[in-house]
This record gives sequence, structure tokens and C-alpha cells, in this order.
Amino acid sequence: MSVIQGEVQVLDPIGLHARPASLIVKLVKDSGLEVLIGKPGEDAAKANSALRLLALKVATGQTLVVHIPTEDQSLATKMISEIQEILKGE
Amino acid sequence: MSAKPGTILSGLGVGLFPSIGEVLVIEHSQLIPEWTKSTKTPEQELLELRDAIAFVANQLDELGAKAGGTSADIFDALKTLLEDDELLEVANSNIEDGWSAAAAFGKAVDEFAELLKGDPTFDERVADFQDLSKRVQAKLAGIKLDLDLPSTGRIVLVGEDFSPADTAQFTDAVVGVVTLKGGPTSHTAIICRSRNIAAVVSCPGASELANGDKVLVDPVGDRVIVSDDVSLATRAIKFVPIGSNSLIPVRANIGSLDDALAASKTMANGVGLFRTELLYLSSSHEPSIEQQAESYIEILKAAPAGPIVVRTIDAGSDKPVPFLNMPAEENPSLGVRGYRLLIEHREFVEGQLKALELARKESGREVWVMAPMIATVDEAKTFSDLARAIGQYKVGIMIETPSISLMIDQLAGVVDFVSVGTNDLSQYLFAADRMNPSLGALLNHWQPALIRSLAQIASDAKKAGITSGVCGESASDPAFAILLAGLGFKSLSVSRSQVDAVHNALSSLEIADAEKLAQAVLQATSAEQAKATALQGIGVR
Repeated sequence: MSVIQGEVQVLDPIGLHARPASLIVKLVKDSGLEVLIGKPGEDAAKANSALRLLALKVATGQTLVVHIPTEDQSLATKMISEIQEILKGE
Repeated sequence: MSAKPGTILSGLGVGLFPSIGEVLVIEHSQLIPEWTKSTKTPEQELLELRDAIAFVANQLDELGAKAGGTSADIFDALKTLLEDDELLEVANSNIEDGWSAAAAFGKAVDEFAELLKGDPTFDERVADFQDLSKRVQAKLAGIKLDLDLPSTGRIVLVGEDFSPADTAQFTDAVVGVVTLKGGPTSHTAIICRSRNIAAVVSCPGASELANGDKVLVDPVGDRVIVSDDVSLATRAIKFVPIGSNSLIPVRANIGSLDDALAASKTMANGVGLFRTELLYLSSSHEPSIEQQAESYIEILKAAPAGPIVVRTIDAGSDKPVPFLNMPAEENPSLGVRGYRLLIEHREFVEGQLKALELARKESGREVWVMAPMIATVDEAKTFSDLARAIGQYKVGIMIETPSISLMIDQLAGVVDFVSVGTNDLSQYLFAADRMNPSLGALLNHWQPALIRSLAQIASDAKKAGITSGVCGESASDPAFAILLAGLGFKSLSVSRSQVDAVHNALSSLEIADAEKLAQAVLQATSAEQAKATALQGIGVR
């Protein structure tokens, strides 16, 4: 299966912290897909684990690459925009 | 072992009404066992671990439902961490290496905590994460961390002292509380006073009590009696109002909208202490000025008629605000707290004042603002300039440090009012940690040195043309309230449950009588003597 990649940016003023991480995990688990998220050029973490996402230690302004194992472009686009929405913070 | 009927145990009373119930002794000392290798199959261990995790997840749901709002979101996020797939995977591989379920989970949590260390946004959560680990391990070892109190019946809890986590679990069945340690300003005492639970603190003799003993908690008599005869209780001082006016205004202490609504049903003349930190302690993000203003507007509108004295945020590393990133300190009560936050977080304090100004205009209420933990005249000036530049309110400071209590004459023209926080003033005056349950007796508000400090503050404030008030727990004691009026304070602010009692007490005599009483009490050399002198002056034996 091919993997669709997309970029998101962390806009939340306190970085990627526990709450957004847990929201992303919920989204990923609901999709049933093995989504990975990581910093560009580094090993990506399993996005079904908030702890792995937090261990990326992502600060505000950081760009992240989302890897979604699907061929459905519209599904991937929707998911990436939902993740971006979560990373905006409040 | 059970205490002999008729035994009298002395301590410090909290509250005005006696209550009878059955003793329930709370032991806190059970420890989580050391990590061991497994004696069962890995499948069995994993099954037990999953059960324990599900049990704790359920607890978090219940806590979240009880807390509601932003706190519920925090419990929800914690639950996600607890049920993390990767965490379970690491724990499972530890089980396969031969560890017991408790050890396997504890090690997995440690491993992730290590991985996450140094990330400032997560450092605040590490303690919560480790607490989850403890809860899971306790469940596996069959240890109860929760009090598990019955919801019906009449129980009197007996223990060393109770933490905020404990008191949050008090049910309606808790009619009395007795602590071996802890003073009149301990967390337990504050909660019991606000919930009208009869309590006696600093009562070392209570170690004699056993489960099922029938006891009379007699706060007015400063004692616990092993008896179910309520007629043995010391009669609460009956104040007969001689007019409808209190000698000085009695205001209410509030911290939330619920408090404001409840206070408006009392005789309170406005609010003398609005503790704002409660609005921030549970939020992980800094709320916008508009969001803050919205909360303030609701509360200001609901508050009882009269001025509303708002204290700017009083957080410290012992009660950290998540989004202010407050590093741990060796001595939080002597650290960066209250006004001192202005150094690092000036924008936040300015935002708070701006939100209050918006709320003041919108609600049409008379708002006074004051800063906690002021130590020097310069600090008072800085705060006053800042507040006056932002809004149209009366500006004041809390008197909590002995240092500022010696400089009151120099505050003329700098602030409009001062309000004494007797809890902290006691702690700093006696060099006695409020959180140390062994030092309760030093924090008794009848201590003569505290009373003399208060006398000086009231008199210096009067000379400087500054309005002075008291908003610490001590003002909630009706007899002490009379003393404070006699010393020359111009207003008091008390727990909302005590507003009517204090109002009654202050309506029962003339100011000249209160002044005479104050002069007599100032001669006392011990807390016991001071209290006895006051009660004698009021006409109680």
C-alpha cells in the first residue's frame, strides 16, 4: 500500500502537549490506520501513542510530517487538516 | 483498643456546632510493595494488568465527571496516557522478561518518564503520570489509596491530617473530623469550616480512638469527648444582636461562581477576598483576556451587594498554574509566589487586571484590587502604579509578610487599603510552616504575638489614612472577629458559611465594649489566656 505524506505545523503556543497528543491518538485510532508522525528527516513515531508523540518533544512553530498508509487521497487530506486543526491550540 | 467512655481529648476546635458520630480511623501508611519477579504465567500477569488499568481508567472518569470543565479535559488526557498502546506494549515485554504486572508497569512508566524528561510542557505532567503508575500498582497489590467513605450514616474521621485529595472525597456522611496534627489554618480546618463540618485539630490524644467509638466532637470546647450525649457539648456562644448593624462590614471570601451565589444568600456586605487563582489552576493554556473577563463578569454579577475585593493571582510552586511553568522550589512558601510572579509574568498579571477592568465596566460593580505577598513599599508602589494605569479601582495590598507590616505608615498615598492575611502572616511571623502538621499550635490565631502585630497594623493604617481589613481564617471565629473590630479594623472577610455568625457577633455589642475587650486581650501571655480573656469579656464561661 502506498503512503500519503503531508505537512502540519504546531501553532499551539505551548507546543505539542498532552491534550492535543491525546486528541490526535483518538483520531488515529478511530481511523484504524497505522499513522506515523515525525520531524522532517527523523524517525517518525507511532501516532497511536500519545507518549511516543510527546517523546518527539515538539516546540511551537515546528513542522511535522504525517505519514498515512492509504491510497485514498481525500481521506488523507481530511485527516491531515484535522490534525492541523488540533495543533492550532485554543 | 477502644477509648474509655467519658474520656476527654483536647485540641483546637473548628466550627461552632457540635456533632456526634462513629469513629472511622484513616491510616495512610500502606506502602506499595517492592518490584518482584513474577510467580505466575505471563498471560495471567497481562490479564491482571489490563484489569488494573481499566479500574484506574474508571476512577479517572469518575474524577473527571466530578470536577467538570477544564479539569475534566485534564483527566481525559491522563486517561489517554494510562491506556497508551505503546505503554502497554513495553509493560508486556517486561512481563515476558519475567517481571510481575506491577513491576512491569512501573518500569514502563519510568522508561517513558525518562524519555520525556526535560520537556517543559510535560514536566508538569510527570507527577500525574507517576501517580497513575502508583494507582495501578496499588490496585494490583490490593491496597486502597482512596478513602472509600460510606455515603450514609454519621462518621467522624480520625487521622494524622488530611490532604486536599482526601478532603475532596469527604461524603455527606462525614459529620466530624479529628486530626492528631494540623493547625487551625491547615487545609483540613479550612475545608471543614467552609462545609460546616465539626472539627477538632491538633488533638494528639485522638490516637486512642478506635473504629466504632461513639464520640462527640465539641469544637467550641476545643475537645472531643468519648460519649454520645450531645448535652455535654460546650454551648456555642450565643450572640444576641442589639441592633441590625454590625460594628464593621462583614464580607465573604469566594473563589468561584458557586461561592459568589452562595455568599449572596448570606448577610455579606460584598466580597472581601476573591481568590482568583482557582480560575487558572486547572487550565493548561493561558485564557485570553476576553475569556477571563467573561468568568469575572459572571462572578461579579452574582456576588453579594457591596464592594468586591479581588486578589490578583496567588500561585506559587506549591500551587502551580500549569501554563506559567513554575519550576520546583525548595521552600515554596518563601519562593516566587503572589506579587513576585510579576517579575517573570508581568504580561499575565497585566492581562488579569485588564480582564478585571472589562468585567468591572460590564458588571457595573465596585471593584477593589489587591496584590498578595508584598514585602516592600517599592513593590506596593509598582503594583499600585500598574493597577491604576489599567483600571479605575481602589488599589490595595495584602499584609502577609512581617516586613511590610512594619512599613504601613509609608504606604500613605501609595495604596487605598490593606487587608491582612492572618494565615500567612502567622506562618511568617512564627517561622512555622502552615503545611507542617506538627506546628499547628503556633498557628493558633489567639497567639499573643499575632494579636499584637494586628493591633499595630490597625493603628498604623489608621494614622496613615488607609482603610484596613482582615481576610484570613481567623476572622471567621466570631469571638476573634469582635477582637479585630476592637483593635480598629474597618472590615472583615470570612468564610461564607461563617458570615451570618460573625455578623451576629458584631451586632451584639457596642464598639466601646469591643475596644475594652481588645485592650484586655493584649495583656495575655499565651494563646489559651488570650482566648479565655476574650470569652470572659463577651460574657461566656
